[in-house]
Amino acid sequence: MQEKLKIAGIIFYSFMKIGCVTFGGGWGIVAQMQEEFVDKRHWITEEELMDYTSVGKSIPGTMIANVSYLFGYHMGGVICGIAALLGITFVPLVLLTFITLFYNNVKDNIYIMKALVGIRAAVLPIIGLAIWNLRKAAFKKRYGYAIALGSFLLYYFMNMQSFIIVIMGAVLGLLLTERSGEK
Amino acid sequence: MIFVELFIAFCKIGFTSFGGMSMIPLINSEMMNHGWMTHSEVLDIVAIAEMTPGPLGINCATFAGIRTAGVAGALVANLGISMPTLTICALAAVFFEKFKDSKWLKGCMMGIRPATLGLISGALVVLGESNLIVENVFYWPAAVIAIAVGILMYKFKFSIPAAIVLAGVMGLVLA
Repeated sequence: MQEKLKIAGIIFYSFMKIGCVTFGGGWGIVAQMQEEFVDKRHWITEEELMDYTSVGKSIPGTMIANVSYLFGYHMGGVICGIAALLGITFVPLVLLTFITLFYNNVKDNIYIMKALVGIRAAVLPIIGLAIWNLRKAAFKKRYGYAIALGSFLLYYFMNMQSFIIVIMGAVLGLLLTERSGEK
Repeated sequence: MIFVELFIAFCKIGFTSFGGMSMIPLINSEMMNHGWMTHSEVLDIVAIAEMTPGPLGINCATFAGIRTAGVAGALVANLGISMPTLTICALAAVFFEKFKDSKWLKGCMMGIRPATLGLISGALVVLGESNLIVENVFYWPAAVIAIAVGILMYKFKFSIPAAIVLAGVMGLVLA
C-alpha cells in the first residue's frame, strides 16, 4: 500500500507537469508520455503507449484524461488511475480559473498572442517526432504500413470518426494475424 | 439546483463526444440553453482552449462553472466532464489489463497500432495546415519556429517543456 501511494504520488506529479504543456489538441500527450515514461523511467514500452492512446481515443470523453487513466490503472490500479486523472486536470483547471477571472486582459494581450504562435508551431515537430519514434512499435508486421496509410487517408480525406478507424484496424489486425497463423 | 444542472450538462457533453473539436456543437447548445454563455463567449472559450494547455472539455467546464457558481461550480462541472473516464474508461482499463495477453486482443492490437499512427499523422497534417497557412498565405515565422524546434529536439535532445518555452520566446521575436 505504501509503495502504491508512492507510485500514485509520482504519477500525479508527472501528469501535473505534462498538463502544463499539452498544447495542440491532445496528441502532444503521446510525445510527453514517451519522454517521461518510456525513455526516462522505462515504466512502459512504446507498444503499450500506443495501446493506451488508441483505446483512450476510441471511447467517449476527453482523450488525454482517458489515456492518463489507462496508464495510471496499468501502473497501480484504480488509485493510480485517479491520481493520473487528477494530475492531468489540475493545471488546466487552475490556469483557466485565472483566465476566466482576468479574461479581457488575456484575450487582447498581443504578447501572449505572439508567444502562442510560437508554441503552436512547436507542437508540429513535437508530434512529428513522436510519430517517428513510435514507428517501430506500430510496424511490427508488413501489413501495418498499409493499415497506417489507409487510416491516414480515411481520417484526412473522408473525415471519418477516429473510433471507427480504430475498430477497422482491430478487425484487420485480427483477421491478418489469424491468417498468417502466428502466436 | 445549479450544481446538479452543471454536473448533468457536462456529463452529457462528455458521454456523447470524443473530445476536441467534436464537442463544440454540443457545448454550444448546452451553454446557450442554460443561458450560461453567449455564442460569442463559446467562440472565445474555443480560442482560449486552443491557446492554453489542456483539453477543450476541461477548459469549458471550468469557464462555465466559475461563471455560474464560482470555484465549486468549476469543480462540479469538471467532475461531470470526467465521468466517462471514471466509468467507461475505467471498465475498459480493467478489461484491457485482463485480456492483454490473449491471442485475440494481441491480434487486434497489431492492426490498431498502425491505424493509430495513421490517425496521428492525419491530425498532424491538419494541425500543420492551420498553423502554417494563415488566410491562404504561407506563414513563414511558424515554419521557421517549427523547423528550429524540430532540430533542437532531434539533434540536441531538448526536452518538450524546454522546447515549448523556447518556442514561445521565438514567437515573441518573429510573430
